[in-house]
Amino acid sequence: MMLARVADSLYWVGRYIERAEHFCRLSDVMLNAAVDRTDSARQAAHIALSAVGEEDIDPERALERPADTVRTLMFDREDSASIVTSLARARENARQVRDQITTETWERLNLLYLRVTGPNAQAVYDQSPVAFLHEIIADLHLFKGAADATMSHGEGWRFLLTGVYLERAQLIARLLDVCFGDAAGGYLVNDHFAQLSVLRMACALEPYLRVYTAEMQPRLLIQFLLFDEEFPRSIRFCAARVQEHLTRASRYAEIFDGPSPERLAGRLSARLEFAEFDEVSQMGASAYLATIVQECARIHEAVYEAFVAYPLERRLPA
Amino acid sequence: MFDEMFKTDGAVRPAYASLYAHIATLSPAELEDRQKTLERSFLLQGITFTVYGAESTTERIIPTDLFPRIIDGKTWEHVETGLTQRLQAMNLFLADIYGQQSILKDGVVPRELILGAPSYRREMMDIYVPHSAYANVCGTDLIRNETGEVMVLEDNLRVPSGVSYMLANRDASKRTFPDAFGAARVRPIENYPDLLLATLKSMASEWRASPQVVVLTPGVYNSAYYEHAYLARLMGVPLVEGRDLVVHDNMVYMRTTLGLRRVDVIYRRVDDDFIDPLTFRRDSALGVAGLFNAYRSGSVMICNAPGTGVADDKAVYAYVPEIIRYYLNEDAILPNVETYLCREPVALQHTLENLDKLVVKAVGASGGYGMLIGPHATQKQRDDFAQQIKAHPANYIAQPTLKLSTAPCLIDGRIESRHVDLRPFILSGAKTVVTPGALTRVALTKGSLVVNSSQGGGSKDTWILSDTPGEPDRPEAAS
Repeated sequence: MMLARVADSLYWVGRYIERAEHFCRLSDVMLNAAVDRTDSARQAAHIALSAVGEEDIDPERALERPADTVRTLMFDREDSASIVTSLARARENARQVRDQITTETWERLNLLYLRVTGPNAQAVYDQSPVAFLHEIIADLHLFKGAADATMSHGEGWRFLLTGVYLERAQLIARLLDVCFGDAAGGYLVNDHFAQLSVLRMACALEPYLRVYTAEMQPRLLIQFLLFDEEFPRSIRFCAARVQEHLTRASRYAEIFDGPSPERLAGRLSARLEFAEFDEVSQMGASAYLATIVQECARIHEAVYEAFVAYPLERRLPA
Repeated sequence: MFDEMFKTDGAVRPAYASLYAHIATLSPAELEDRQKTLERSFLLQGITFTVYGAESTTERIIPTDLFPRIIDGKTWEHVETGLTQRLQAMNLFLADIYGQQSILKDGVVPRELILGAPSYRREMMDIYVPHSAYANVCGTDLIRNETGEVMVLEDNLRVPSGVSYMLANRDASKRTFPDAFGAARVRPIENYPDLLLATLKSMASEWRASPQVVVLTPGVYNSAYYEHAYLARLMGVPLVEGRDLVVHDNMVYMRTTLGLRRVDVIYRRVDDDFIDPLTFRRDSALGVAGLFNAYRSGSVMICNAPGTGVADDKAVYAYVPEIIRYYLNEDAILPNVETYLCREPVALQHTLENLDKLVVKAVGASGGYGMLIGPHATQKQRDDFAQQIKAHPANYIAQPTLKLSTAPCLIDGRIESRHVDLRPFILSGAKTVVTPGALTRVALTKGSLVVNSSQGGGSKDTWILSDTPGEPDRPEAAS
């Protein structure tokens, strides 16, 4: 049992840190791609920009001044999609539930926040943008590690992780859609370098290589990022975790109308567990991914209805 | 002037011996280094307040000095009995003015002073308060005058803050001077959260075996938010905002993930005015509609009780020695600072004639606002203030300008002395307990007497020793 507002805040801490981490990784891959001035590099830049929702930026220009492009994505406080905005919101939410998270966890996030918003942040970034991004990613790993190692694995922790995995499922779905869906505008990501970049963006290169070796095919990439059972960033894996956490969190929840969140999560998880690649090719990647994104959105709504924004009159004592 | 560390002949006071010996082995660079480590640890922990600027938002820590202030066991014993006596009398006073009002009928305290005060809450009349504990958490501001005598400067019975700084300072000073800390035999304060929780629970123990306690905060933008979260976390109770609570059928519930759960005791860190928009300020978004009625019906406890503020009014302060005598038939152990109530014509005239020597305070204000320090003010400031006093004499009190005692501080890498005060915390429920520690506030500007953090003050840890090494630290002749 915990305050509904607290569950809500923890859930958003999870979502925001996951978003920040993913965007750091996309930026990192883009900076890397910019070193080569090839068609595949342009393709990788385009993918990264589309995946962060900045399709309007011309990849050609982005590649000319990659550090500037990433700087904007990193530091622009006006932009609700910037990394600094995500980190600030994660930290603000954490501060609102400061009494519910351990000191170790809080200090990790606070330190990170102070670094990216400090007066020297941009100067440090300019010295080595790649190192700056890597440090943020490493710090976010430390944050998750501290949460895992020091917080009780009770309800609050489960809401935090529900946020992390639900966000991750949606981000990976978006990335796949950009690469292989209708949004790719017909030009298929089939070049070795571009596929390598996509795997890097999903932090999936090494795990992928161990399963499929260095043979890169769009079909295998999709299969891996959608359906792999063990890779922590496959959508299937995320759905299974969301189901697990929500099932545990609602163990004692009172009866509510409407679809319960754990049932929705279980349905998505089961669908992905027994899915075959043919379904994706028959439906088309975009349509298939859209169903996943929709189901994630419904889970989000159900979490709100069940735990956070329930109507009071149904919960008052008779 | 009384210095906390040195006697007038320059010798180190016995209580400070171990600390002094230790500091003497450190170079200025090492001291500076430790000061930086200390500040960094505060920043990391988020013990900060937020400064909203035009360009960007920054977070600052309340300046913290690395040298602890030390009080020997004998002196503390005196302070402790004095504070206990004072709070007991104040609680009896509150029970009386919200009940029989015999002290007003007997003319010991002027009726209109109490009943006319904005902080007097008529709504509190005849409400049953367990143990007559109206002020469950009290932070009293003490000072030492020229001879080292401890005096009461102000009572804080509403929602006193600063206790998290006391605990955080202690944490830091243990790391900064571990050896000196061990050698000095400092009394522990780490059990404050337990004591606070026990005090809060004792308010509902008559009707609930295991009461649900919550801390009510105005929210994350409040400057004391860190403290609210800190106390909730260390007591292991939920930190709630007004929007988390619902009143139904005069019962208070909090919205949890599993539905609504009963709340029994609310340690509120929200001012009276804002706790219930139905009873007090209508425009308050911080409170809970219907909370006060639930309180009246006895189904929930609000700590501190609404309406305690009337007892720490700056004009009522002058009557506290009388109040102690009236209820306890004892003399006040800790003396008041001499106070002139401008509502009285003689005192008003004295105040206006001696503005250059006096400190004048507005009765309703706090936090160092609405205050004139005569000797430090310009003639124009004094003239302006005189006009205000003449317009509303009842709004002002005057006190002699006191030379607060000084303690050594590290200022820009050099050790210099600065004026300090002392804020101990007293808990009162079924029992009254004085925490053996305090927040020492420091006026960081040279010569300044204003210690409030909103006015450029800082703080330092306060060590209360379990015994008195050598001679007790007795008041001495003025220097």
